[in-house]
Amino acid sequence: MSDIAGATRALRAERVSLAFGALQVLFGVDVEFPPGRITGLIGPNGAGKSSLFNCLTGLYRPQTGKITFGGARLDGLPPAARAGHGLARSFQHVALCSEMTVAENVMFGLTRHGKAGWASAFLPLPAGARERADARARAIAALELLAIAALADKRVGELPPGPLRLVELARAIVGEPRVLLLDEPAAGLNSLETRDLLAALRRIARPELVMVVVEHDMDLIMQLCDSIYVLNFGKVIALGTPDEIRRDPEVARVYLGADDA
Amino acid sequence: MLSLLWSGVVTGCLYALGALGLVLIFKSSKVVNFSHGSLAGVSAFIVYASSSSLPGLPWAACVALALLAAVAIATLTYVVIAPVVFESDLTATVATLGVSLVLQGVVLIVFGSDIVSLELPLPRWSMTVAGLRVSAYDLAVLGATAAAIALLFLVIERTRLGIAFRAVSASPFAARVCGLSIRSVHLFSWILAALLGVLAALLIVPTTFLSPTTVASFMLQAFAAAVLGGFESLPGAAVGGIVVGILVNLFTFYVSPEFTNSFLLVLILTALGLFPGGILSRRGGSRV
Amino acid sequence: MSELALSKGGSAPVAATEPVARAPIGAWGDIACVAVLATLPFVLGGFWTYSIGVALANAVGVLSVSVLVRFGGEVSIGHNFFMAAGAYAVAILEKRWGIPFYLSMFVAPAAGLLLGLAFAYPSRSLSGIYLAVATMALGLAVPEILLQWSSVTGGFEGLYVTGHLTTVVSKDLQHYYVALLILVAVVYALKRLRHSRQGLALLTARSHPRAAEAFGVTVSWARLSVMGISASLAGLSGGTLAFVSSTVSPNSFSFSSAIFLLVGSVASFYALSLPAAVLGAAVITLLPQYFATAGEWVPIFYGAALLLVILCGNAGTSALRRAAAWLGVRHV
Ligand SMILES: Nc1ncnc2c1ncn2[C@@H]1O[C@H](COP(=O)(O)OP(=O)(O)O)[C@@H](O)[C@H]1O
Ligand SMILES: [Mg+2]
Repeated sequence: MSDIAGATRALRAERVSLAFGALQVLFGVDVEFPPGRITGLIGPNGAGKSSLFNCLTGLYRPQTGKITFGGARLDGLPPAARAGHGLARSFQHVALCSEMTVAENVMFGLTRHGKAGWASAFLPLPAGARERADARARAIAALELLAIAALADKRVGELPPGPLRLVELARAIVGEPRVLLLDEPAAGLNSLETRDLLAALRRIARPELVMVVVEHDMDLIMQLCDSIYVLNFGKVIALGTPDEIRRDPEVARVYLGADDA
Repeated sequence: MLSLLWSGVVTGCLYALGALGLVLIFKSSKVVNFSHGSLAGVSAFIVYASSSSLPGLPWAACVALALLAAVAIATLTYVVIAPVVFESDLTATVATLGVSLVLQGVVLIVFGSDIVSLELPLPRWSMTVAGLRVSAYDLAVLGATAAAIALLFLVIERTRLGIAFRAVSASPFAARVCGLSIRSVHLFSWILAALLGVLAALLIVPTTFLSPTTVASFMLQAFAAAVLGGFESLPGAAVGGIVVGILVNLFTFYVSPEFTNSFLLVLILTALGLFPGGILSRRGGSRV
Repeated sequence: MSELALSKGGSAPVAATEPVARAPIGAWGDIACVAVLATLPFVLGGFWTYSIGVALANAVGVLSVSVLVRFGGEVSIGHNFFMAAGAYAVAILEKRWGIPFYLSMFVAPAAGLLLGLAFAYPSRSLSGIYLAVATMALGLAVPEILLQWSSVTGGFEGLYVTGHLTTVVSKDLQHYYVALLILVAVVYALKRLRHSRQGLALLTARSHPRAAEAFGVTVSWARLSVMGISASLAGLSGGTLAFVSSTVSPNSFSFSSAIFLLVGSVASFYALSLPAAVLGAAVITLLPQYFATAGEWVPIFYGAALLLVILCGNAGTSALRRAAAWLGVRHV
């Protein structure tokens, strides 16, 4: 499925099982997300897609299983340390700070690259000013890539949900991550915005970037992805190219039947 | 030493009653109720006022009056903060401080800042068991606490509201399942907590005296007990109360009676550091 | 909205640098407030200069509580502890070693910082309610420590702070303007914090802790940082108070004073601006003087004010929300 070099830079989950009390959410899930490709992750509501993302980024602790990125073990690391490995994500339920502006929320995505200390947080020191201007420039660039730079200085609290998804996306990409996990980036977007999103995601894709997209919009997934995992009730039930997935009778029955897409 | 432990257990029971109320309220409505002690203080003053100004009134009637007043005040408190209960734990918690200030002010204006004494109608009886002096007061405290806790668990286990309470404290959406509104479950816990608070106040006042701040100043012990128990566990609060009672007693005797609050501060910080989930959960956890 | 999102070709001009003067009203409000405060001593008499000077020192304390709420989403009813630490640091440094205020004013926040970090450390990864409960113990422990440790603190009487910075200006005016200067510096530093990398990280950690974690900011770092900032401001406030009032005593740092600090913070709507902080401090410093003959009404007044602000604030926002929903703002 991927060449040797690619395989070593891949994000892998092996036999990951997750339960909340009596509720088993993931049953020994095996996935491999190679770099340079866009992988889709689909499945009906409650299939465990977001939970899998949470396991990958460390917000949930799976009971069993192994998570590796480029050969390095990630399981056992707290979420913040995984961010240090280059993992970035967007959230299904928009998790932006509503009293900050759009640009500030995106600048937050650069926080782990920041070097300026506490002194420049309170005092007008040149190092802090330079870092801040640089962060703002990068944030604006990320917003431009998603064609929402005009919103940069609007407060997040006063924006409708559509653009907020794109702000989430901008925050995730601004730090030039090595892994990009997107949880329903097109939810709440109209068809024109979705088309723009598709173009933007293609522009974001790079040979060394692992990119995984959870989405309910089948058109977007089929056009965007190189390969697709299908999750149902916490188990991987199919893996293939968009065409293979489209023709898979099991997927059609389970997924399309359950979620009249 | 033995008598220190014994009196620690006795006062610990009272802290446990206070802590149970705090935990009841927190479990159902996620509010840290800083007005708990002030409410209990008001009720103690009502017993004092009614028994001293109406000498013919039997003591039980005075207590009934105070319990009624406590239910009324608890209901009123909840109604006042109801609009912000779902806002954030912070807003509602600050609002309870406002209620507490108002209650303290009312006591100050109505009863003045004089110190009065309020006794329980108990016989001056005591006996010595294995070198331990056990007084009627001690037995009354233990008996009342045991009865209150038994009654509390009966109410929570057996009544419809009690079952709804358990469901709500597990998940706020669950109340609908029982066909009861979340509000009534909240109110249920606030009223239960107030009743426990009045009981604790009446039992604790004879050991000191009654002033507008006496009862509220025992709140810290109740809070420490709740933290020790993990703030989410009723058995934890009960055990925490007794542990706090014993530790404070030992500290007062062996180290210093003047630094009780500082000791409680250190105790709370230590407990948070060592048993973040409460003393009971930690023990259960290590057994597995 | 959608036409904005689609205007890719004619990419809207966006300033590469931040429009820092985005809140000109706020900035002008601050400047006007400074101007008014700077002229007050010449308009009002000596008594008012003293009282308002105390209020300015308390305003820093109000800001210390507001910072905790705004950046940490936490409340404290124990900030009298850190204020007392700062105040007694100033007084003891002067009494024992003759260290003047222009040096000890840096020790006061440092003392607050250290104590704040030590205090917040055990609950750094627990829910905020534990911190609130622990601050109650903190607030109640202050009087007994100050009273019992009298060899250092001077017990019930407290200590005198005689220091003044220069003999050129009258002592009262020195007190007033030093307090004003410190308050302005604090407001300025907090405005910078709001826009700094650390400030953005703290705000995100408060509103969406999981998002913050996913981007490399640990919640425990955020909680320790906020408490450190808040406690050092409280320490500075206490130190300034000692300087302004020329004395420190347990009475000024009772448990109620911590609750009043929170009342002041709520009354200023937790705002981190100069006028708001001065307003909050005025409520808790100047109003009790009006009630001087009817002290028992003070708790009721403050309690009612607290409830009023919270409930009206809530009714206000929910009314706005309802109006917005009614106007269909959500469905744009
Ligand atoms: N924190 C949690 N606590 C309890 N149950 C959870 C939690 N997170 C997810 N679940 C449960 O896990 C299942 C999968 O949820 P999720 O991963 O969000 O699915 P998806 O993203 O595929 O729609 C659901 O049944 C959900 O209720
Ligand atoms: Mg999901």
